[in-house]
Amino acid sequence: MSADVHLGALLQRARDGDRESLRELVHELNPVLWRVARGQGLSADDAADVVQTTWLELLRRIHEIRTPRAVTAWLITATRRESWHRRRRDRRDVPDSDGVLDAAVDPGPAPDQRVLTDERDRVLWRHFAKLSDRCRELLSIVAEVRRPDYGAIAAGLGMPHGSIGPTRARCLAKLRTMLLADPGWGRHD
Amino acid sequence: MTDSVDAEILEGIARLDPAPPDLDERVLFAIELDQVDAEVARLTETAYAGSGARAAERTRTITFEADSRTVMITVVERSDNLVRIDGWLAPGAALRVELRLPEPTASRTVVADPAGRFVFDEVPHGLAQLLVDGGTGTGRVVTPSLVL
Repeated sequence: MSADVHLGALLQRARDGDRESLRELVHELNPVLWRVARGQGLSADDAADVVQTTWLELLRRIHEIRTPRAVTAWLITATRRESWHRRRRDRRDVPDSDGVLDAAVDPGPAPDQRVLTDERDRVLWRHFAKLSDRCRELLSIVAEVRRPDYGAIAAGLGMPHGSIGPTRARCLAKLRTMLLADPGWGRHD
Repeated sequence: MTDSVDAEILEGIARLDPAPPDLDERVLFAIELDQVDAEVARLTETAYAGSGARAAERTRTITFEADSRTVMITVVERSDNLVRIDGWLAPGAALRVELRLPEPTASRTVVADPAGRFVFDEVPHGLAQLLVDGGTGTGRVVTPSLVL
């Protein structure tokens, strides 16, 4: 069964009140929505909040979704819209110390520094951060999905359906070239 | 057309910045509502006050906005490792406010005063969610889950 059919079936069962199917849908798609929100430049706290809000909206509109197979695209679109609204809001938050650290890292949102204990991951992050927003967004979503449903991702990101494969290849090739030229990536220790 | 180098790069990207481990739990708690047609209030502001040096002195003010109503809460740390929630509804009205807590802890319900003020005291740390009943002409409002 392809990914979109499987997720569509989960949505239909969730709509009929099956909690287990709803839980599975959350487990399957949460990592993708997290990447989408982070790709829009949100802090970790805001991204977590936007992902939740998106699911609450899905639940509210679950009977309005005409094509259950399109649930991935629906959720990606909704997460991007929520993220955009969140960013636009006048944020007068008084940041705590973690927030200050996050804000000091540029460009793009920094991953949790604790996961970057591996030198090669640090090298990867450095080069990954140099990619365009679009490349980072697309690669981080594709990397998260076991069997990427390019149609759903394209629809969610507002890209032409046929362009996802070539864009992914181009972004990956660019990153690969930078990495292979970096001695820090080549060293296996 | 992904060779082993590409696969390694994608695996590396997946390791960068993974979703927080409690994200699924927070989402599942938030959407485990009996009533799903409530209006979703967005978190619009979080402000901290107090010295910060001692957790017991810190308070956090969180604002949620829905089209029909604004819900503002201040979370005050108590000395016994519980928290007190001071809340305001705007526009103010004597509405029923429910504080959902993860099972098996029972939900708590209070009624705001006519100015929209409400209090939940001796609340344990952890996940929580607020539901505000609709007034005349407005529906129920639900907040995302928050970590107290």
